[in-house]
Amino acid sequence: MTDSFGFQAIGTRWRVDTGAALPPGQRATLLRLAEEYDALYSRFRADSGVTALAMAGGFLPLPRHGAALGRLLRTLHDVTGGGVSPLVGERLAALGYDAGYSFVPTAAPAPSRAWEGLLDWTDDGVTLDAPALLDVGAAGKGQLVDLMLEYLVSQGHEDVIVDASGDMRRAGTGTITVALEHPYDPTSAIGTVRLGSGALCASAANRRVWGDGLHHVLDARTGRCVDTVVATWVLASDTMTADGLCTALFVADPADLAAVFDFDYVLVYSDGRARSSAALQGALFP
Amino acid sequence: MTVRLPDALPATPSTTTGRAASPLPRRVLTALAAVSILGAAGCAGAEAEPPAPDSQAETSTEASAGADAPASGATTEAGAGGAGAAGQSYEDGTYTETGSYQSPAGPEEVGVTITLEADVVTAVEVEPMPDNPTTTMYQERFAGGISDAIVGRKLDDLAVDKVAGSSLTSGGFNEATDKIKSDARL
Repeated sequence: MTDSFGFQAIGTRWRVDTGAALPPGQRATLLRLAEEYDALYSRFRADSGVTALAMAGGFLPLPRHGAALGRLLRTLHDVTGGGVSPLVGERLAALGYDAGYSFVPTAAPAPSRAWEGLLDWTDDGVTLDAPALLDVGAAGKGQLVDLMLEYLVSQGHEDVIVDASGDMRRAGTGTITVALEHPYDPTSAIGTVRLGSGALCASAANRRVWGDGLHHVLDARTGRCVDTVVATWVLASDTMTADGLCTALFVADPADLAAVFDFDYVLVYSDGRARSSAALQGALFP
Repeated sequence: MTVRLPDALPATPSTTTGRAASPLPRRVLTALAAVSILGAAGCAGAEAEPPAPDSQAETSTEASAGADAPASGATTEAGAGGAGAAGQSYEDGTYTETGSYQSPAGPEEVGVTITLEADVVTAVEVEPMPDNPTTTMYQERFAGGISDAIVGRKLDDLAVDKVAGSSLTSGGFNEATDKIKSDARL
């Protein structure tokens, strides 16, 4: 790669590598995309659109990419029987993963409120009939990766990787080799995959951990932390979908998801066993 | 392998399919337990000699002792021969029922299909129908498709371009937990 640009955005570390030079104007645009996205969806900022909805409900207009996110979240919600839901936000916060990072649970686990009758996600925005704290973390970071990569491709870049600390998308010829980080040992990997043009996302439940077995992946149907799956990886054509499927694999059978989405996956259960799609069965170290 | 039918099954199966609320499911499960017991015994002695009818009958009786089947008149000698249509106790066919059981994760259901030919169980199929992910995991493991435990290799020893994991995925989270650690330090 010729050029590389690292920065902090939406609470994580980003790195963009390009085969051609990355001029200052393009770097500034990447930061602006992140800032705009954060200003819409961050539940950790007092001035975000999502925080306004949490205070008062009502209508939050969204840019064009909001429609795609809403459709994906709705599909994931339906195919997981409600296991994935943006309404999990207030349950995460109640368990202590809140805007102030208190990590102090204020309520017992409870199911998320139902989508129907409360949330209406249309092509032009989100309407909440009552105040509710939304969390688009299931797929939002992935969509921001897509927005950045698609912007760079539109500027003529033919060889690009946008990597948001392990959720990444690549455009270019050939492949790169990506290690699948060991869920219990960040100095090790459990296998490797080849990434051509497309997205690879990772999610693990055992890193963002606080309190007594509490972590950031909840089953929206119960409000409890998922403890049978500890790590998931998904290869898909775009990062938003791969990110969302990484979350969905914690609460749904891969076969159910495969009926709706085209993807490959590896997942690790809490006892250290793994499961994968046929194409990735050779990815794990024997 | 065929196994003689335990005597606790009802003489006339009431349904061929469905999730009837009859007491049959529990008996089917009891029969299944008996089948596995008999199966193990039968395999052990299969090469040497035919299993003794007496011991099979005993096992069947033991297995059915806990069931609430009426069982009077259908016990002991009933199925010893098994081949003759005249003395046959059960109608040939395939029977499917749903049973429920209490797993550590809560109540679960299991579908059992048994094929009967001349009072002999010639096929048993068990279809798990779990609601609980833990149960799903264990049942999938029985069905195969799950690899052995993952094997780690040090990243330092690998030639890779990127790492996909979650150790770095949330700067805000990590900063906050670091802050808590430092606040909590004496």
